[in-house]
Amino acid sequence: MSSRIVCKRILALMLCVCCLALTGCSGGNYARRTDNSRTLYIGVVGSSFPVSYMPWFSRDGIAPTISSMVFSTLLSYDEESATYQPALAKEWCYVDREGNPIVTEDGQVDYDKLESEYSGRDTQCIPIRFKLDENATWSDGTKVTVEDIYFTFDLAANQKLSNHAGALAWVNDLMHKYDSNTGKLRRQGIYTYDTGANEKGYYIAEEDRDTVFYLETNKVLGAITSLVSTVLILPKHQYADIISLDNPLYSTAPSDELRHAYENPIGCGAWVLDTEKTSGQEIVLRRRDDYHITAEDGSALYKADALSFILYQDINVAIYALKKGHLDVLDSSISANYAGLFSDEKEIALFSAPGTYAQCLVLNMNPTEDRMTEERRMLTNPDFRRAIALAVDQEDMILNVLGGRGQAMPSGLILPSNEDLYNPDANIITGTAKERVEEANAILDTLYPEKDKDGYRLNGGKRVSFEVLGSPGEQEAISFLQVLLQRVGIEIKYAAKGNSPETTYLYGGNFDMTIQGVIFSAGNVDIMFNSHFVSLSRSSNYGRLNNKELNQTINKMRTTLNQNTKYDLVKEISTVIAQQYYKLPLYVSDTLSIARTDRCQGWVVSEGATAFNMDSLENLTWVNH
Amino acid sequence: MGKGYVIKRILYTIFIFFIVITLNFFIPRIGVEDPAERYYPAQGNMTDIEYDIIKQLTREQYGFDVSTFQQYLRYLNQLLHGDLGTSLQAGSPKVIDLIAERVPWTLVLSASTMLIGVVFGILIGAYAAWRRGGWLDNAVLSASTITTALPGFFLALLFSLYMGFEWEWFPAYTDPNLVSSFDWSWEAISNVLQNAALPILATAIGSIVGYAQSTRNSVISVADEDFITTARAKGLSNNTVLYKHVLRNAMLPIVTSLGMSISGLIGGSVVIEQIFNWNGMGTLFLNANNTNDYPLMMGIMIFLSGFALLANLVTDLCYSLLDPRVKLGGARR
Amino acid sequence: MKKQSNNFFLRLWRHPKGRTGIIIAMLLVFCAVFAAYLAPYDPYDVTQRAEKGLSPSWSHPLGTTITTGQDIFSMLIYGTRVSLIVGLVTGICTAFLGALMGLLAGYVGGFVDSLIMRIVDIMLVIPTLPLTIVLTNIFGKSYFMIIFIFTVFGWTGLARVIRSQVLVLKNSNYVKAAELAGASRWHIMFRHILPGVTHLLIMSTALTSAGIMVAEAGLSFLGLGDPTAISWGKMLADAQSGGALLFGHWWWIIAPGIGIFLSVFSFMRIGLALEEMFNPRMKQGAGVRKLFKSLNNTYIQGIFDEMNEDAAGKPADGKEAAKA
Repeated sequence: MSSRIVCKRILALMLCVCCLALTGCSGGNYARRTDNSRTLYIGVVGSSFPVSYMPWFSRDGIAPTISSMVFSTLLSYDEESATYQPALAKEWCYVDREGNPIVTEDGQVDYDKLESEYSGRDTQCIPIRFKLDENATWSDGTKVTVEDIYFTFDLAANQKLSNHAGALAWVNDLMHKYDSNTGKLRRQGIYTYDTGANEKGYYIAEEDRDTVFYLETNKVLGAITSLVSTVLILPKHQYADIISLDNPLYSTAPSDELRHAYENPIGCGAWVLDTEKTSGQEIVLRRRDDYHITAEDGSALYKADALSFILYQDINVAIYALKKGHLDVLDSSISANYAGLFSDEKEIALFSAPGTYAQCLVLNMNPTEDRMTEERRMLTNPDFRRAIALAVDQEDMILNVLGGRGQAMPSGLILPSNEDLYNPDANIITGTAKERVEEANAILDTLYPEKDKDGYRLNGGKRVSFEVLGSPGEQEAISFLQVLLQRVGIEIKYAAKGNSPETTYLYGGNFDMTIQGVIFSAGNVDIMFNSHFVSLSRSSNYGRLNNKELNQTINKMRTTLNQNTKYDLVKEISTVIAQQYYKLPLYVSDTLSIARTDRCQGWVVSEGATAFNMDSLENLTWVNH
Repeated sequence: MGKGYVIKRILYTIFIFFIVITLNFFIPRIGVEDPAERYYPAQGNMTDIEYDIIKQLTREQYGFDVSTFQQYLRYLNQLLHGDLGTSLQAGSPKVIDLIAERVPWTLVLSASTMLIGVVFGILIGAYAAWRRGGWLDNAVLSASTITTALPGFFLALLFSLYMGFEWEWFPAYTDPNLVSSFDWSWEAISNVLQNAALPILATAIGSIVGYAQSTRNSVISVADEDFITTARAKGLSNNTVLYKHVLRNAMLPIVTSLGMSISGLIGGSVVIEQIFNWNGMGTLFLNANNTNDYPLMMGIMIFLSGFALLANLVTDLCYSLLDPRVKLGGARR
Repeated sequence: MKKQSNNFFLRLWRHPKGRTGIIIAMLLVFCAVFAAYLAPYDPYDVTQRAEKGLSPSWSHPLGTTITTGQDIFSMLIYGTRVSLIVGLVTGICTAFLGALMGLLAGYVGGFVDSLIMRIVDIMLVIPTLPLTIVLTNIFGKSYFMIIFIFTVFGWTGLARVIRSQVLVLKNSNYVKAAELAGASRWHIMFRHILPGVTHLLIMSTALTSAGIMVAEAGLSFLGLGDPTAISWGKMLADAQSGGALLFGHWWWIIAPGIGIFLSVFSFMRIGLALEEMFNPRMKQGAGVRKLFKSLNNTYIQGIFDEMNEDAAGKPADGKEAAKA
């Protein structure tokens, strides 16, 4: 009998527990619903959030975004006007050998003078003069001075102290070098008032000692890009005493002080990390009211008081959270399949921005002898490659794969919207789809006229068939490509990329074709052209294009000091690239993003951006205030 | 139970663990010439120069610059100090810290499921067996066939769809702030219960039915034994016979299978956690897999194996305690 | 042997549970073999894609997927192939391996026995699901890898059961007679002892196949199977990641679930019927009672544990085996 009672009691207890669970089960009561403040809730899709915020550590996930908001670079590059905007530094200019700024009358860089001054062999570097904004402060109130700048670049250049965190802060074009064996400074390239600027011939007045400094850079136009817009400046007063040879950056066993510094970042950006509210699932940034850059009317530049980034494991979860009102905006873009979810939603806006990233079909056009197969031998023939390029119908791909939400990329791999670099003559694949297929078939009929019973061409009795390496998400695209190439009698099949495709297949040239994303802009052509079309070792040049003339032109483009010449050369290169039929563009997908408009409005999207971006933050207006 | 047996059993366990550790050491080294390649961070937008520097530094940091044998010794030494490795995540958190964070949350799901399964299952099963042929008996049988054939994750998806999304009885996805905002207050506990309700529900059904079925069969087989007839003949009441004699003996196989299930407590709920986005060991492992975080994956494997070994050892020893008929060490043979 | 199998199929047919099992299994095999003719659309053919995310209608009885616009009903039919192949092949391989190991351990005994039992212990301890994930990470995702891993980890349970049976048979008269007559070990093992355990093998094949089908669905759900193949587990995974829950497309979720249910149900029925036929005393399939419990919670863990539990769980074990 007693056992029965015991059972009944257990059952009753369980029922109580269930009732508890059901209380308030309207789906949870996250802070968002009742929040009337100007905190923006942003959903981030990823597997984990960083636990430390050392800005040079990681390029993956949300870390670069957070770093760029908490810390600041010297300048920021504005894509639309193609100029550098002030960030930490108020002014900058190239200086000539007498120390005078190399500028035109309206304050722009005088590239002709720059070229004449420094192209000769008698100069080793170009000095650039910067003036910091004297109102710039760190989040703990200390002023930003040139000592922080010196410390930052010096640390980045010194591998012994910065490990590969320094490699992520790319200062290769700065002529400030340490000997990696002895750890001694081999060549100084940063000059402040206290470190011999005037002695070197770089004039700095006494009252400017805290704000003016000179950097000596490599003699390429691209040198300034990474130095001013990617290197995040570190506070000397937080790090200088902690970092030493025994306790370098990015060691696997950092000292407690170093760990403390990682987890409590002091930055000079517009935001400061709220360490109390931040956890492994949520990062909170609060706006700094003492940030030195303000909006034109003097009010704060960014219109949100705080930003709360919340981590979700899966995009579906994040979209659901936004639908329920727990988020204001998503950090990532969404697939076009979800567009239908929001057609009835009054309070959620769907934003579509033209994309900037082109998916391309990369042909292995120059495999090494030990990687050569019959199929790849066919790919070494430029006419064969042209036939494939003709068969690729971008409009068809956009319609089927993207549901119409995308645009075509010209064969020169530069979008028409990129006015400085776009060359209409590079667009050598023209004509209607039908005409192109006819031309392709004509070319292939001269090469491989025989066909088997399914309509595929035969090469020495064997069907012409290629494997296209792709990730599972690219299967659909490859399936549609299959149909397109079938029209010219070529067969392609999907092959799984596996886990580390670069090391397994791509760097060794051990593949037929693959899908690769490319994006070229004025800011990255120096690095990207080299990486995609010149470099033969462990680079994005999977198909091992090795064209001597092209290499020379690219090198000239990188080293010329005249921007106009540079852009002309880019246009020329664009045409040559198209003629190689090496990376065939498939489509440029639109960027789709969503944001709620019930708490705040004023979302703006520019090319390639999602709703959550700095422009939106500057433009937000709050509904309840 | 002789001391000798216990010591032998423990030594045997350590031996097996050693072999498992060795296997664990060699698995990430299969298939690549340079095992350090598995540890290099993703290349991202790095140039060749940067990447070469990083490769060299990674090799030094993770100890790939010495011979394999030396690496093995270092690994053993590291394990002896309780260090399961350092994850490749930003900030280099220790694997053991990551695991310690997540294990309690996995246990919330799996231990609750097991508890519910055991309590309700045994009650239902015993009752069904006692009234053999009754409606409960048949219900248990049909239920067990159905729940076996329907995978638990399918049930979980269905529950998630209907009870979570359509009818909104429970949160469809786990609150991302569940872990960080937990402070032992009533609200926090209620929040955890709400979020855990669906995953537990989905798995508890199978658990209950399973234990019910086992109990039923076990009780039936014991009830047919001679000593029960004797007890009945002696005139003992139904309840006494049921609870004192039948159940006690029928529990033995249940206890064994319970012991077996303990090792599955931590490693077994990968799929359910993934469906509900529950931040436990399962999602930790899946994320490690997606980001190729080999130290974390291998660390979790060692942890799970160690835990399973421990559970088996304890179960074995307990079983020998409970059932004196069983020859020591022969229980599972 | 032939006479036995004739009896065996007929007996199975007459058994009510066996009959349902066989009918459904035959239906599934039919679907798998003639998928190309039965399915209204070819899910592999890109030109037959329809609009994405359609609800069930006459032209698409189960609607289309949100992500690709494939017809779900056709995918359901093609999915039988993967399930059946993986399940049956693994079941058969496990049976072979388990039988071999059990025979060796039981009959040869001594060092070989200890060695095999040690290996079994090691196999038990390694967490199989995480190991599968790691191995597919390293070696690539394919069904071959999955079959391989299931076989390597699945023979342990059967080996134990066979071993205990062999230990009993070892002492029977005809084996002793054969030994005296000077027959070789292999001869005795395969001609005399093996037939005595065949029933266990057949039963185990059916039940293992059932269990493997569930486990394979789980692995495909996690994305560890071949990404180009159509499998029910993968359909569930695509449904979840493609937003079926968000859109409320229950048909995309229920369809593969029913597929998995039918395939596992049919093979389980066959297995249970077999067991009832061979073990008339245990009318309700006691041997696999724990199979049920764990299959739901911890797929692979459970299966492998369960196979071992057969030997440990029943005090009356020896008696059962002997009666068969």
